[in-house]
Amino acid sequence: MVNDVRALLQEAAATPPGDDTDLSAVLRAGRDRVRCRRRRTIGGLGLASVAVAGIVALTSITGTVDGGKDGPAGSRVPTPEGPVLSLREARQAVAGKQYDVLSSYANKDLNAANGEYYAGVSDDGLILFQDGPKGAHNRIRWALLDPQTGEKDWLPAHAIEANQRPIRVGADRIVIVTDVDGLGSGLRAEVFDRRTRAWSTLSWPGLPPSAEMLSAQVAPDGRLYVGVPAHTSEPPPGGWPTQPDGDAEDAGAGGDTYELWSASLTDASDVRDEGLVVGSFDFTRDSLVWSDATNGINRRIHVRDLATGVERDFDPRSGARCNLLGFGATADRIVLSQYCGTYANGRDDRVQILTADGRPVTTIQGDDIGGYIADAGTGDGHLVEIGSHFGDTEGTYVYDLDTDRLWQVTDKTAAWDVSGPTPRHRLLWGTPYGAGAGPDGMDQGATQWLVRWR
Amino acid sequence: MRERDEDAFVEFAQSARTRLRRTAYLMCGDWDRAADHVQEALIRVYVAWPRLTRAGREYAYARRAVVSVVLDHGRRRSSTEIPAEPDPQLSSGHDLAEAVTAREALLSVMAQLPPRQRACVVLRYFEDLSVADTARALGCSEGTVKSQTARALDRLRSVFEDSPLGELTLGGGTW
Repeated sequence: MVNDVRALLQEAAATPPGDDTDLSAVLRAGRDRVRCRRRRTIGGLGLASVAVAGIVALTSITGTVDGGKDGPAGSRVPTPEGPVLSLREARQAVAGKQYDVLSSYANKDLNAANGEYYAGVSDDGLILFQDGPKGAHNRIRWALLDPQTGEKDWLPAHAIEANQRPIRVGADRIVIVTDVDGLGSGLRAEVFDRRTRAWSTLSWPGLPPSAEMLSAQVAPDGRLYVGVPAHTSEPPPGGWPTQPDGDAEDAGAGGDTYELWSASLTDASDVRDEGLVVGSFDFTRDSLVWSDATNGINRRIHVRDLATGVERDFDPRSGARCNLLGFGATADRIVLSQYCGTYANGRDDRVQILTADGRPVTTIQGDDIGGYIADAGTGDGHLVEIGSHFGDTEGTYVYDLDTDRLWQVTDKTAAWDVSGPTPRHRLLWGTPYGAGAGPDGMDQGATQWLVRWR
Repeated sequence: MRERDEDAFVEFAQSARTRLRRTAYLMCGDWDRAADHVQEALIRVYVAWPRLTRAGREYAYARRAVVSVVLDHGRRRSSTEIPAEPDPQLSSGHDLAEAVTAREALLSVMAQLPPRQRACVVLRYFEDLSVADTARALGCSEGTVKSQTARALDRLRSVFEDSPLGELTLGGGTW
């Protein structure tokens, strides 16, 4: 008798018992996990479905401001403590006055195939150009593009699949982190030495496998710092309620914490548990700044002088329902991007800016906005890029931390966006290409712009 | 995720879950556990959905997620979990004489294979993946897939040859 393996396998799996997989449970759990990741991709997810005009204008007209304190869900968007800016107060930035365009690249049909992107800018002004992932193997090609000449210097081929993130584009080396299993777990670094033009791959046997790739960053000491999950807040029994667009309504969530670990970028055996539990963290040139919790309510911010080890901490006085989603620091400013609830008249999103000792500078408040320090590649950024994805304030904005002025630079945001580390004064932003002309009213593609801020 | 994307995800999940469950079943040998593994894999797919749809590789990612979940579960189970009730559809012992059909015999022997060898057999001969695609799904080299598959097939073939069930082939007649 002859038995064919393929036929036997097909036969064995041909008659499964009834499938009671609960897709609604999949959706609930998926939404909760998306919520956990949203802080990393802030601005790219979630469209509120309620039409709303400017937040400040509305709250002043309706008179529902709760004396500077947050109101309960279902009421109207509350006003934060301290000075507040609306995107409507932004001035229009003009090319040639506030900034100069150094380069642009259009992907004209991203619905048909993946494209090419500006994935960062090196300290010496070259664009890290990313082609892909493309092809049967989902491979990415990298080049250094000179914005002045348009010439590309293709880097030697190196197998990096889709789940990757450039975190340092230096004049000496490029560091790209990726996960080990393609599913977000584990951490590996692909390092390109620009002098020898050679790639090397680093993974650290001593690093806990749950190290979160998305938290990784290179500190002033040249080491890679990464968070290892310590405590993850649980959704309430039955899961978070969902909004009409399917997003979880999780304002006021308990936060998550991470153990801070560091690893050498040249020696795979050199791994350290830094003995610090953090929420979000960021490095300036001379300090480590961290929150007590992230992806939920945060009550405390800490600043450690890297030279002396002296620490100070303070209450950022964020709103009572504000989940900390994005976090960044400069020598004299701290920037917190927060989701603070959905109300009858829209989402309450905030970009809160504090001095390094905790005094309020301003809070930019809007519906479906998020912000981050965009020119932080060399640790001394001073420009906060804010994306507004909804309504008549849609567009990209820049808040200058040196002058405390808010500028609008585009009136549309791109459906596709890739960004990466850029040095001081350099910004990347995107605009739609063929807006609404693609399938199902989607944009056809996107144009990326590299500018020098004056 | 936007409502439009979520609708697309649900449509994908509904169409893919049966096939994914079959793959998971052949890898773990239990339909209920297979359903749990597929559910976890689909949650991972949901999280990655926006970038998956851009790259057009939803099913490959979902299959890879299933493989990862099953192998992860196997690792955890080996150290912490008490085995569940045996699947009544499987032969309970290792004696092929007890197996009523070649199908039961195959499942019984596969249950004794190391998890990655078993995954290689399922991906290569049930999913009909190439060596390269199997390597990608398992996150290992093509050489590892070849060696693990060869060991698994040697084991399957030798058990069948020593039984009254007859020869085991790959359809095309080559190993």
